[in-house]
Amino acid sequence: MTLATFPADEPKPSWTRYFSFNTDAKVIGIQYIVLAFFFFLIGGLLAMIIRGELITPEADLVDRTVYNGIYTMHGTVMLFLFIFPVLNGLNNLLIPTMIGAPDMAFPRLNAVAFWLVAIFGVLLMASFFVPGGPAYSGWWSYPPVSIQNPLGHLFSGQGMWLTAVALSGLSSIMGAVNFVTTIIRMRAPGMGFFRMPVFCWTALAAQSLQLIGLPSLTGGAIMLLFDLVAGTTFYDPAGGGDPVLYQHFFWFYSHPAVYVIILPVFGIFSELFPVYSRKPLFGYVYVALASFIIVGLGLIVWVHHMFPSGVAQWMRNLFMFTTMLIAVPTGVKVFAWLGTLWRGKIRLTTPMLFCLGGLFNFVFAGITGVMLATVPIDLHVSNTYFVVGHFHYVIYGAAVMGIFAAIYHWFPKFIGRMPYEGLGKLHFLLTFIGANLNFLPMHPAGLMGMPRRVSSYDPEFAFWNVLASLGAFLLGVSIIPFLLNMISAWVRGPKAPHNPWNAIGLEWLLPSPPAEDNFGEHVPVVISRPYGYGLGKPLVENQEAIEQVLTAADLQEASR
Amino acid sequence: MTSASPQKPRFTPVSMLGLAAWVVLLIGLSWWMGQQAYHWLPVQASTAAPLVDGLFSFETAIGTFVFLGVVSVMVWVLLMHRADKYDESDAEPIEGNTRLEVIWTAIPFVLVMAIAVYAMRVNTTLGMLGPMEHIHLSNPVEEVGGYPGDRLPAEQVEVIARQWSWEFRYPAANVSSTELHLAVDQPVTFRLVSEDVLHGFYIPAFRLKQDVVPGRAIDFNLTPTRVGRYRLRDSQFSGTWFAANQVDVVVESGDDHSQWLETASRQPLQSGISDASLEFEQRAQSGRSGWATVPPAPPPQVNVPGSNLLPHDG
Amino acid sequence: MTTAYSAPSAPQEHGGEHDKHNLTGFIIFLCSESVIFLAFFSGYALLKTSALDWLPAGVEGLEWHMPLINSIVLVSSSGTIYLAERAKAKGSLWGFRGFWLLTMALGAYFLYGQAIEWSGLDFGFTSGTFGGTFYLLTGFHGLHVATGVGLMTLMLIKSFIPGNYEGGEQGVQATSLFWHFVDVIWIILFLLIYVWQRS
Repeated sequence: MTLATFPADEPKPSWTRYFSFNTDAKVIGIQYIVLAFFFFLIGGLLAMIIRGELITPEADLVDRTVYNGIYTMHGTVMLFLFIFPVLNGLNNLLIPTMIGAPDMAFPRLNAVAFWLVAIFGVLLMASFFVPGGPAYSGWWSYPPVSIQNPLGHLFSGQGMWLTAVALSGLSSIMGAVNFVTTIIRMRAPGMGFFRMPVFCWTALAAQSLQLIGLPSLTGGAIMLLFDLVAGTTFYDPAGGGDPVLYQHFFWFYSHPAVYVIILPVFGIFSELFPVYSRKPLFGYVYVALASFIIVGLGLIVWVHHMFPSGVAQWMRNLFMFTTMLIAVPTGVKVFAWLGTLWRGKIRLTTPMLFCLGGLFNFVFAGITGVMLATVPIDLHVSNTYFVVGHFHYVIYGAAVMGIFAAIYHWFPKFIGRMPYEGLGKLHFLLTFIGANLNFLPMHPAGLMGMPRRVSSYDPEFAFWNVLASLGAFLLGVSIIPFLLNMISAWVRGPKAPHNPWNAIGLEWLLPSPPAEDNFGEHVPVVISRPYGYGLGKPLVENQEAIEQVLTAADLQEASR
Repeated sequence: MTSASPQKPRFTPVSMLGLAAWVVLLIGLSWWMGQQAYHWLPVQASTAAPLVDGLFSFETAIGTFVFLGVVSVMVWVLLMHRADKYDESDAEPIEGNTRLEVIWTAIPFVLVMAIAVYAMRVNTTLGMLGPMEHIHLSNPVEEVGGYPGDRLPAEQVEVIARQWSWEFRYPAANVSSTELHLAVDQPVTFRLVSEDVLHGFYIPAFRLKQDVVPGRAIDFNLTPTRVGRYRLRDSQFSGTWFAANQVDVVVESGDDHSQWLETASRQPLQSGISDASLEFEQRAQSGRSGWATVPPAPPPQVNVPGSNLLPHDG
Repeated sequence: MTTAYSAPSAPQEHGGEHDKHNLTGFIIFLCSESVIFLAFFSGYALLKTSALDWLPAGVEGLEWHMPLINSIVLVSSSGTIYLAERAKAKGSLWGFRGFWLLTMALGAYFLYGQAIEWSGLDFGFTSGTFGGTFYLLTGFHGLHVATGVGLMTLMLIKSFIPGNYEGGEQGVQATSLFWHFVDVIWIILFLLIYVWQRS
């Protein structure tokens, strides 16, 4: 036994490492998450301005140009600077520890990918202050609006936006190459693909989607940038170009992007439901494989965003079918989680509450998603608030809730301290009520015909918009207990034992927080499937001995 | 449930009966929601509307059933399968059940395929109302569209979208307007063109929407079925005054419509509705500064400006 | 715990292992990179097939004789880089350097030929979608050729470090793979732009 080095006796690493070019995946993970939440606050502030404007039918709070810039930046910040970075943060923390790798395959590339996010984040924020203001053509940035360039300067908010998106793509590709290589090549001995935690399966699936889809957006964005600054006419009908071509490039990536976001959240659900139900994941193999069915189908559905753009009828029908089919593997996952919960021993901890709330919202979003996939309904509700409602149910209602669940669940592992349950439950309650109050009223408004992206609207939509705005403000408030919880737990929360939730997984066989190289040379040999709750089979060889050492270290830490 | 031993039969007759009763209740509720769904939509004012609404109602009912089914399980689990306060033990380890997994793959598959087939049939019917998308590459004059003779629309209207105004031209009557007038129960063909950016031709009461793509002339058919005043909204983001790019659609009886065309053709040309132009001027005068914008196109010169301020039906 | 070391599938071995990561990562990157080209190619095909006037006024089409010579040069460089790798596998370091240098020279000649062609054309980047896609595709590909030549220069310099290849391949394999990739892309590009002239 060479486990004696486990109690970390080395001097505590300095906090300044979080502000440096550090190559430790766990440091990078926390850097990603903290930076992402900084931008989450900015994106949230922009959302508050949007909902403030929309609480009355008239365009009276801000100028229309300002409104358009703000809604564009809200979407851009939330997607490219919050949700992708926060998920990459979780990938960085969880993938190496879950598969028993000392670090990512390419640690320096990993750090470069992170700092690129910081750089393009600054670039995007700076675009608020250039003459003419930031990009205002929506996060889709459809030409010709996006190449109109009202001031005619070479240097415009839209140009900065496109540069930022290209950098974001570069960073994501670097990340994806890294995650995929790590998962394929650096798993612990004995961990075949079918002994790999579902989070890693979903991360592998999501990152494969990034690799296939993202270059299409990057290519499309490069052409758009040339149209904007170099005078080409790829998308400009005046010069023989075709604006619809951009929509194909854009949606070929941006629809799969939704799966890039939601797949890891499926992974989180699949990790957490077994822990807090004390049961194995129901149908592990099927759940794992369903991720790749979703990847395959996800690549051939993009035209459903363009049903009203003037695509041929056969294309509409074809893409309606493929889109509908995605409901099947997704349904498999939902039912598998229900099967996991069924007859379990449910513990309603904060992470579990967020998972259950997220699942509730996700099922709702899935149903409106099937509605949107059917061409005749889509022709009525596309580009209305119905879509906005559906999308926010997916992204906020399901994905962000799942991310909160993950943060509460793995916070003790990577920070080494316990978050507070009371504040966590308050955070859950406010988030769940706020999200539903905010996003549910968007559906009736959309069904009645309220277009999205409007800065003013007809008075008949006022009732639903007032409700939505109140929900949005509640969501704004809901972040306060979260921040309080995170900061105070990090500073003076109770010390976390190595496995506070009594969970099964390689990451829980490490001390909290783990040493810089995780298991180092002593990677345990995996001998059974994950989620063996109640089966009595150990996950790794010599599990008892490892646990003993860790528990002794926990006790020693507690007695200090 | 914590006391349940693994050997205990899962489904007693009583529990099966309870389950059946619950399913019947859910089906009833779903049917009711399907009926409610009609009230969430604007008035039906075109031949497409009842078809779309029927499909929406059907999907609402199915969706409600699935949603309530899932939520019932979640609530049941939360009520009945909670761990006792100090119970740290694991539950009975069920790793899966192939039969169940096959069932819950097959059922969603059948459900979505049923919806898809229904939707395709609606699609085909909508298509029979007139070729829904006849896309021609920029040459609005030569092409007249290929309709079967018996379905040749009675009226053709050219729709010109601009940043930010709508102009409607009736070539047969030599009339132009910024208020769309249509005869009830008469098929009409629109030729949609844009002079600048993407716009969306969207009349919620008709349940139809079509992007207006610069560089293309898109033919688009519909048949209004209800007299009234409706809203036409720009549905594809088109820049600063996108939200203000809304005008009215007046559906009137055939006689009224001929009358209107007749009167309109004698009106002199005047500035049509362009809320954007008005706001742009006010904005310049008040010195309010925002971020950069493209100036609005000048208001179209039309015979009848009409109004977009009157109360509308949806 | 010592069993961990002897486990047959243990991927934690050091030395050459890291190099295999590099190669895996590089292959994954190339797959992703090919999608950008795929996007550009499909965009080109779509714009070309739907265009009313594809060629700008006064442009008759593209002269294809010199580009064909250029293509032959580039494709044959795939052969020389293969010979370089073979030489290296046989332990002939100078043979490797010779063929490697030849490959670089062929790549450089290709870039030179491309520059000559560009300077002789009577249409520009902004001459409609024809000019735009032509310069976009050839320029983006040329950028890859230049990157390839740069990578090869780096590998050539590194080959003079004593004991450079003892730990593993040190990027030669990846560079060679990249070069073949650039060649295949060129063949598709040549077919699309020069061979498929009439729509």
